[in-house]
Amino acid sequence: MLRTQSTLLIAASTVVIAALAPLVMPINIATEILIFGIFAMSTNLLIGVSGLYSFGQAAFFGVGGYVAGYCFVHTDLPLSVGLLLAMLGSAVVAALVGAFSIRRTGIYFMMLTFAFNQMIYYLAYSWRAVTGGEDGLGGIRRPALEIPFVGNIDLGDHLNFYLVAAALFVASSILLFRLARSPLGLVLDAARQNPRRTASLGFSVYRAQWIAFVVAGAIAGLAGALFALLYRIMPIDAISWTSSGNVVFMVVIGGMSSILGPVLGAAIFIWLQGFFSLIWARWPLLFGVFIILVVLFLRGGVAELFDRARQAFTRKAPKPAIQGGSHD
Amino acid sequence: MTSLIAAQLINGVAIGMLYALTAFGLSIIKGLLNVPNFAHGAFFAVGAYVCYAADKVGLPFAVSLLLAFLVPALLGVLVERLGVSRLMNSPYLYQLLFLFGTALVMEQLIIIIWGSVGLSMSPPVFLEGAFDLGFTYLPRYLVFNGCMAALTIMAVYLLIERTRIGSQIRAGIDKREMAQCLGIDVKRLITAGFGLGSGLAGLSGGLVLPLLGANATMGADMMAIAFVVLVIGGLGSIYGAIAAGILVGVIQSVSTVFVPAASTVLIYVAMIVTLTIRPQGLFGER
Repeated sequence: MLRTQSTLLIAASTVVIAALAPLVMPINIATEILIFGIFAMSTNLLIGVSGLYSFGQAAFFGVGGYVAGYCFVHTDLPLSVGLLLAMLGSAVVAALVGAFSIRRTGIYFMMLTFAFNQMIYYLAYSWRAVTGGEDGLGGIRRPALEIPFVGNIDLGDHLNFYLVAAALFVASSILLFRLARSPLGLVLDAARQNPRRTASLGFSVYRAQWIAFVVAGAIAGLAGALFALLYRIMPIDAISWTSSGNVVFMVVIGGMSSILGPVLGAAIFIWLQGFFSLIWARWPLLFGVFIILVVLFLRGGVAELFDRARQAFTRKAPKPAIQGGSHD
Repeated sequence: MTSLIAAQLINGVAIGMLYALTAFGLSIIKGLLNVPNFAHGAFFAVGAYVCYAADKVGLPFAVSLLLAFLVPALLGVLVERLGVSRLMNSPYLYQLLFLFGTALVMEQLIIIIWGSVGLSMSPPVFLEGAFDLGFTYLPRYLVFNGCMAALTIMAVYLLIERTRIGSQIRAGIDKREMAQCLGIDVKRLITAGFGLGSGLAGLSGGLVLPLLGANATMGADMMAIAFVVLVIGGLGSIYGAIAAGILVGVIQSVSTVFVPAASTVLIYVAMIVTLTIRPQGLFGER
């Protein structure tokens, strides 16, 4: 779908999305979509741009959520510091996990990210004093946003909180877009298509992928922190492997070739979750069936639908919606 | 203290045999398909619950165990035929998502049928009680458990190493295209391998039931352990999983003596240590 060329266009389209969203849906749903949009975009830096199929991104989302949650339950730190600490915490964990995982490729990489996700899940599960364990970390306050010369903005108001999330959403998408077009992004792109050749041309594939892993982890941490603030509770589910699978689903269903595809995937996921959970308490069953059907019958995700429609209009051969990652 | 450690050592070997059995199934599937089976934990859980249901109906334990193998094996064949095989030619991200969706569906179906409260089952009467070893009591069921797992692994080993279909499976794992050129029906082989692997996971679930009970998260827990076992054992060899499974079981059991709170996390520490010292795993090839 949106095959945008310039940073300006990306900025404009994200601002438009963020401005329109609250008009067509309840404000908290719109906030949740933007938060998961940030999470999905960061995951796409690994899956779509770098060809690193991580199945453990929820670990970094969760660490961010717990760090921010801890800050805003037990300390009086201002919002910006709490969010930065959350990103820093996730970045550190991602740096460690990445250092062990990235040297292994393909299936091995995937299994390692999954295993580390489970390890961090168990740590969160058993470290009750900090994370609240099974019950989740509740009672998270939303600190006021302090802007110099303007004053304090109360984030207890849902619209104000939405605006903060929207600003961070726009900033993250621009950052990720610029990163994908930067020299580092080109190395990642080349390494996805042919890692050996890229390495033999003298680029450090490992270093580039490790940096991407850390950046994706930090931004996932930001999303997790915002999520903890949104419902003022950090549930243990958010750090589980199912959550990692969900974000992979968002990226795939939205389409990996564009920066905004994963946001579409996040919107579909949140909408489906809301819709299915209204119908039935066992909604993950319906969601699982949905995943199976989409994967079997609509492999390019929703982006493929757009491409098919456009093809019907313009009668041009569409670009493949999905570029197959490195397969070994 | 020493007797406590010795008791936990035996305990660990018995549990580790079950880890080995589950991971062995996973490694057969991984070898043939080149995809980590994200539904493996769900097959394990199905095995446990099927065994529970069969026991409730009044079937003898041996039949329950057989069903715990057969039902997940058949489910595995279905999943492979209807889903995974259709996605053979697309990037493996799709196979993964498919297996993820399948795991969600199976997990939820289990909760719908049997509820989310944990279930337990006592071992059959002839396996109750314990052997007196002098320094500790060794539950009979634990011995049975270890023996069953060992016998199953032996049987599958013989199947793979000594039979015609086994040599075809090995050929399929080593060089899929070449095997196909030689007239081996690799598609059928993959279906059979998927069924066998899922069945092993299910049998392990059935065996674990009298020991640890069944609950909603048992699938994800065991899958994480099986993945760790495969990483430690090394992905190159399907037998690395056996030794690594026992090792992980022993580490987990013995550590409960010293650091009970950390025993779940300690196996990941073992994984990290292995990766640092020997990145390809204990038995893996570079």
